[in-house]
Amino acid sequence: MSCTFSRELLALHVENDLSESDLRVVAKHLQECAECGEFHAQLSHRQSQLKLLRCESIPQSTFTRMRREVLSQIENSPQALGWSVRIERTVWLGFRRHSLVFTSLAIAAVSATLFAQMRQPALHDTTNSTKLAAVFAENGALIRPAGYREWVSIGSSTGSDVADPHIPAKPSSGFSRNVYIDRSAYREFSETGKFPEGAVLLLETSGAADKQPISLEASVKDIRFDGGWGFFDFTNADGTLKDKAQSLPVTSSCRTCHEERAKSDHVFTQFHPALKTAT
Amino acid sequence: MEYGPDNSDTLQGALSMARMPDTAISPDVAEVAHIVRLVLAGDTSSFEQIITRYERRVMNIAIRILGCQDDAHDAAQEVFLRVFRYLHRLNLEKPIEPWLMRMTVNVCRDIGRKKRQHQSASMENTLTESMTTGRTDDPYTGLAEEQQRQMLWKALNCLSENERVAIVLRDVEGLSTSEVAAILESPEVTVRSRISRGRLKLKEIVDQMSKGPTKGDTL
Repeated sequence: MSCTFSRELLALHVENDLSESDLRVVAKHLQECAECGEFHAQLSHRQSQLKLLRCESIPQSTFTRMRREVLSQIENSPQALGWSVRIERTVWLGFRRHSLVFTSLAIAAVSATLFAQMRQPALHDTTNSTKLAAVFAENGALIRPAGYREWVSIGSSTGSDVADPHIPAKPSSGFSRNVYIDRSAYREFSETGKFPEGAVLLLETSGAADKQPISLEASVKDIRFDGGWGFFDFTNADGTLKDKAQSLPVTSSCRTCHEERAKSDHVFTQFHPALKTAT
Repeated sequence: MEYGPDNSDTLQGALSMARMPDTAISPDVAEVAHIVRLVLAGDTSSFEQIITRYERRVMNIAIRILGCQDDAHDAAQEVFLRVFRYLHRLNLEKPIEPWLMRMTVNVCRDIGRKKRQHQSASMENTLTESMTTGRTDDPYTGLAEEQQRQMLWKALNCLSENERVAIVLRDVEGLSTSEVAAILESPEVTVRSRISRGRLKLKEIVDQMSKGPTKGDTL
């Protein structure tokens, strides 16, 4: 055929399968082009022939045989269904009858899963982050760490090395002393023998009987302080503890003692068995 | 009972049912829903009513897609077994027809693929005489119609599976393009393209079978 008009459009036009705009284009072209008109007429004739296939006959016996075979197979429906389809059907129909209950259960299950996923990394961060152990206020004061008694205890007045200047040889004064280090710093020191930036060590003095803290001192590894360590005292004059403490001056006895006598990096590792094993 | 012109009301009824708006529940849909509920409640004998209602439709589509009555019989059997197995998935507020047609097409495709794997021979020989029997009182007209049917069956089997299914559903079954698209779960534009290609190929094949252009044919 010499005419280049779309055969596909003509093929769709014979059964009105075109959009209104295409329909107008084809109709206009058919009025002008005899060649396409003849092609269209042939296609229409084929379409009418195709409809003859609707008149095919199928013997009744074929249906009867098919029906009998299907019904014989489903007579034992529980066996015919299979366990997976039976479970699916039970759940499916149950959902239709009690959609509210199923929806509530699904929402609860999804919520529980999401909560568990959100909680897990949060716990992970709390135990791993060294920055969380040393938190400073805007004025540079160290905020007293909460929950430090759950940190790693590396020395106490009962059974500790008597050479530790922080801990008395005999716990006869009615007080006890404990040294704590934050878990993350402890873990890193155990692995590398070095204290990480942000490591916090606390010395707590408490009543031997009621265990209430009466003094609390801290050392924080932080490059912003002289020697890379800051020293803090949370103890008030009346024996209570304050929430924040400013860094002690460079000339304080704490700093001087640690600089002179601590075995490694301002820490008395020589007096704490838990740290000695790492060094 | 035969599926011929006398059954056109049945066919149109089935088609109109498939075209019912989603919001309105027709008496037919309600009746089918009642039967389905009985079957799901354990009354398996009620399933025969579903088969009787749709067996001709399913078998006709299967025969036109597969081109072989024996295969169509196997397909129809498998379709109704699947319908029974997955009856709980049916939305009882909507017509069963599109779901049933989709299942029929899928089963036919499965059977067709398996057949092609095991049989490389042409399907021409599988066209049985029983499915190409014309019904007309005039022996001369009947012979001409029979020859045309034979050619069309062969031409249909020369199309690709996608084209054949689209042509069968649109041109032989008389469904609309949108209904065909819904059954095949394909975009309308894709279905339209398959229909267009199928019609052109069908014409070309029948023209070649007639040994020349259709100019001197029955026009």
